[in-house]
Amino acid sequence: MQVKGLHSGYGKVPILHDVSFHIDERETVAVIGPNGAGKSTLLKTIAGLVKLTSGELYFDGHNITGTSPDQLVRLGIALVPEGGRPFANMSVIDNLRMGAYSKREVLKTGVLDELFEIFPRLKERAKQMARTLSGGERQMLAIARGLVSRPKMIMLDEPSLGLAPNLVDEIYEKICALRNELGLTVLLIEQNTNYALELASRCYVLENGRIVMEGSSAEMSGSEHIKKHYLGL
Amino acid sequence: MKRPKLLNSKNIAILVVLAIAIVLPLFLRTNQYVLFLATTVLLYAVLASAWNIIGGMAGQLDLGAAAYVGLGAFTTGTLLIRFNLTPWVGMFIGALLAMGIATLIGIPLFGFKVKEVWYALSSSALVEVFRAIFMMWNKVGGPTERYLPFSAEGPRSWYLMRFNTYVPYFYIMLALLVVVFIINHRIRYSKLGYSLLALGEDEDAVEVLGVDSRLCKLKALMIYSFVAGLVGGVYGCIYGYLHPSFFSTDMSLEVVILGIVGGMGVTYGPLLAAIFLVSFREYLRASLSGMFPGKGLEGLYLMVYALILIVVALFQPRGIAPLIKRGFLKLKSFVGVK
Repeated sequence: MQVKGLHSGYGKVPILHDVSFHIDERETVAVIGPNGAGKSTLLKTIAGLVKLTSGELYFDGHNITGTSPDQLVRLGIALVPEGGRPFANMSVIDNLRMGAYSKREVLKTGVLDELFEIFPRLKERAKQMARTLSGGERQMLAIARGLVSRPKMIMLDEPSLGLAPNLVDEIYEKICALRNELGLTVLLIEQNTNYALELASRCYVLENGRIVMEGSSAEMSGSEHIKKHYLGL
Repeated sequence: MKRPKLLNSKNIAILVVLAIAIVLPLFLRTNQYVLFLATTVLLYAVLASAWNIIGGMAGQLDLGAAAYVGLGAFTTGTLLIRFNLTPWVGMFIGALLAMGIATLIGIPLFGFKVKEVWYALSSSALVEVFRAIFMMWNKVGGPTERYLPFSAEGPRSWYLMRFNTYVPYFYIMLALLVVVFIINHRIRYSKLGYSLLALGEDEDAVEVLGVDSRLCKLKALMIYSFVAGLVGGVYGCIYGYLHPSFFSTDMSLEVVILGIVGGMGVTYGPLLAAIFLVSFREYLRASLSGMFPGKGLEGLYLMVYALILIVVALFQPRGIAPLIKRGFLKLKSFVGVK
């Protein structure tokens, strides 16, 4: 996955300025940054939900600039939106089936059973309405929904948002296990810098719509700027 | 995504209701008022069931029903007056026209992501715009009624779809209702139905999954406006004239109220609501309007009607369908059927 000179925004309001970065296959990369830096816009632009004004996107050797969201799902890019956002009045199993919307054939490959093995709690609650789930279960449902289409790359938008610390631990353990088991490329967006640096091998810092720093997670943890502004040390 | 069989116990109950509906006119034959009322109930049930696709499932508060009904009525009626084309064909042309107009309006509305109250306002404006157009367009509309040709009996009566009894209209509406019911049932458990339900809940989340929400909403709008156009064709024949007042915001509102009170997204909800509310309102009108003559209380029935709606909104915000469902389940366990 490669992003080159990306400019994007909503209508006439520019949000991202000349953002370039890359993620290698099976690599986990985190983008951290404060509120309003443009992190979610970045993911939405890659997923084709927000139109980019200029720049180029490459995935798996294809130029995917301006590709529609359903085509991107078919190519193997999945986005788990901020807060998970499962469909509250649909059952857990129907939520998962919605994940196969653009790639119906995957349902025949037993992907639901595989996901139920990884998320046994979702299997127990398969027929319940998603609104009856707890916050952690909803986030798991959203991640599972993103994985139904068997993506090569999954983009996670703040999976720790609004969860109790012990649940954040649990979610991150699952993400880590999933990545290793399924060989996923992960693009993680997170405000919770500790978790992001732990999971990712490399990290970019996005401030005011520009990438201001990049480096390996170890380098980042050592950086004064990160320590002061993000880790509160 | 499994679709439950069409003949489960719930639908058998519906079939029983249907059977009662089929023989009903035999008993009401002498009373044209009750037959007219029954036809009106069915007419609103058809409209509200069609609305259920765009409003109930996709969550788009469409207030444009009367625009499509009016277009259907005017197309069918004008084709009959000018070209002597039978309404049996004309109503489909009217429905296609209504669908075409809806598509023309739906593409920019959904394209620019007009939603929620703004969509409600835009669709409601459509009704008023068409009323104004047809009021001024003297070649097909205009402020005076245009009467449709009439023949009391024989094949000519069937050709014109004009009868001196409401029985045929009752059966036409019943047939339309059955068709809309089947369409609803099929969509509900189709790929389109799931996407509509999901986008009704969270449009952004559903787009992430690669669903083209604009296209789904447009499809829902097209089906709904086609059905409303069909109903419009018959509506004109029932009343026997064409008038711009067919583009009535009241009618649009009534359809939405039935859809919501019936239970959003529930196939049989609008029918139940239509049976209860429309007949109840008519009963109130008949019994309350004459109660205080000369006191300026002719609108009293609307106040009582509004009160009922408020009570439903307070105590059954998800509509009366869940209430009926619970009662039905209790009845089933009482009878001992599984």
